[in-house]
Amino acid sequence: MSVQIRTLEEHLHASPQADSELTTQEYLVNMGPQHPIAHGSLRVVLRLDGENVKFVIPVPGYVHRGVEKMCEHLTYRQIIPYTDRLDYLSAIMNNWAVAKTVEKALGIETNARIETIRTIMSELQRLQSHALWWGVTGMDLGAYTAFLYGFREREIIGEIFEETIGARLTMNYIQPGGLMYDIQPDFAAKVKKLIPYLHGCIAQYETLLSGNTIFQERLRNIGVMDGAEALALGCTGPILRASGVPLDLRATEAYGVYDQVNFNVVVGAVGDSWDRYYVRLHEMRESLRIIEQLIDNVPEGDYATLRYNEELILPEGLHYGQTETARGAFGVFIDSDGKRPHPRRLHFRSPSFNNMWVVTRIAAGWRIADFIAIQSSLDLVIPDIDR
Amino acid sequence: MGVALEKLPGIVERFPGGSVAVTQLDQAINLARSNSLWPLMFGTKCCAIEMLMATGAAHHDLARFGAEVARASVRQADLMVIAGAIVKKMAPRMRLLYEQMAEPRYVIATGSCAISGGPFMYNSYTIVRGADEIVPVDVYVPGCPPRPEAFFWGLMTLQKMIREGETIREPGIRRKPVMAALPEDVSMHDIRREICSALIEDNVVDVAKAADEKPWARKVREWIQKSSSR
Ligand code: SF4
Repeated sequence: MSVQIRTLEEHLHASPQADSELTTQEYLVNMGPQHPIAHGSLRVVLRLDGENVKFVIPVPGYVHRGVEKMCEHLTYRQIIPYTDRLDYLSAIMNNWAVAKTVEKALGIETNARIETIRTIMSELQRLQSHALWWGVTGMDLGAYTAFLYGFREREIIGEIFEETIGARLTMNYIQPGGLMYDIQPDFAAKVKKLIPYLHGCIAQYETLLSGNTIFQERLRNIGVMDGAEALALGCTGPILRASGVPLDLRATEAYGVYDQVNFNVVVGAVGDSWDRYYVRLHEMRESLRIIEQLIDNVPEGDYATLRYNEELILPEGLHYGQTETARGAFGVFIDSDGKRPHPRRLHFRSPSFNNMWVVTRIAAGWRIADFIAIQSSLDLVIPDIDR
Repeated sequence: MGVALEKLPGIVERFPGGSVAVTQLDQAINLARSNSLWPLMFGTKCCAIEMLMATGAAHHDLARFGAEVARASVRQADLMVIAGAIVKKMAPRMRLLYEQMAEPRYVIATGSCAISGGPFMYNSYTIVRGADEIVPVDVYVPGCPPRPEAFFWGLMTLQKMIREGETIREPGIRRKPVMAALPEDVSMHDIRREICSALIEDNVVDVAKAADEKPWARKVREWIQKSSSR
């Protein structure tokens, strides 16, 4: 008796229904606004065929508070706390964008101490933000341990912030013409102790997650986007750099004291989810390098050049300033009438908003599980999208 | 008797004269409920980082209060932590989530946004000024954002309320939420220290002393004396 071996394909062809075509039907699925992957309340409508994603439609607006409209009633100092609440993971960089715009418009000079402290604090916050993102990405892809490790570092850096700034999340630290408070006397010593520790932590991240086969399989060559497309979509930050475009405002615009320090702009080669992951890990190392170079000699000087009750009236016209936050370029666009201490109109260019639309281009054709990895690698902060 | 247990805290039967029957069984059930709250993963804004993520992680460790099983599905959760601002577009969704939650369900509103609109109270055209307008809230935790310790205080307040049967709601009657602000002379450091010392007391065992209290300790001592004198 002989056994006939057939492949699945042959089986299908041999089956009686072979000529009656099997058809599938597309359907729509709502993800969010309450969904663990949404990291807040982003609603995504997926057009699916079985498990394959055909099309993705993000529906933002579930945390729209109208911050830009509210800012028309506020003075420039009062606007700064509201920028904390947009992208709360890079609050200090957001503060800086407003302060920078106001300083440029009014021609306010700051001293070297202020700029150095601003730079150090920004880089610390970038580390904190990336550490959180690393943990949450791990959690999204099924590695809960990563979440605990990511938060371990976040708390350690947070304690340094707390000592100087007095806040854990909503910093409100950088003001037009200076800082809110001077740094604590033992700030430098503590940060210096932190640097080798964090280097060790990043090495630990690599062994914990980067080397994991499952993790690599789920990220490598998933959601590939080339540089031209990323630029066309208006992406900034690690997402753009992962696609191979070396655009980093810290290097190209060189605000603060970024022109006095050595650091590399990390770029990816392929533009897939894995590159977006790896660019962020390397950026953490670069941030540590920047802090290393600055922490030893913070110049002496005042920590504020303006009095806090000084009325700031911007000259008539349009003013724009931007900083590189952990997610990309955060821009502040102010239209002032030159008479009142409030802006006439104000617009925030938030990085997450542009980065969000990437999913419409790169998620199609992948499975739902890959869509999770893609969205996770984009590192979206929803209140930054909705404002 | 008198109380429909499976409906708690929905319906309580009243006796003539206005008193409510709370039996011993209720107390046991309430104790169990208060120590196994299952929060829903529902965060809208900055508070979510502090309330749901930082407290869930190792440093603050929500598991100490028996409430670490954060659920992604509403059907499995019984504690809703409203972390962040609720805007008009989100409000009907939040109500839907609340109605889908397993009974008995509890709500903690953390942060000034969820309490009153917070920083967005004035001049905002979308914000809901207080989550209590949408769902019945049990406990408020003030702060912007509240520290994780403050959230624990709020959670402990809720647990106490559940144990004492104070979360029972009567249909049609709106109750004011309890403000779980820290008492005036208690600081965060006090709470931290107390939690720390409680943990140490619970976990550190004096082995020698514990062994001395055992019934076989006397025999062992005699045996040691005998063998050393030999
Ligand atoms: S209370 Fe403050 S920290 Fe909390 S969600 Fe509102 S603005 Fe953010």
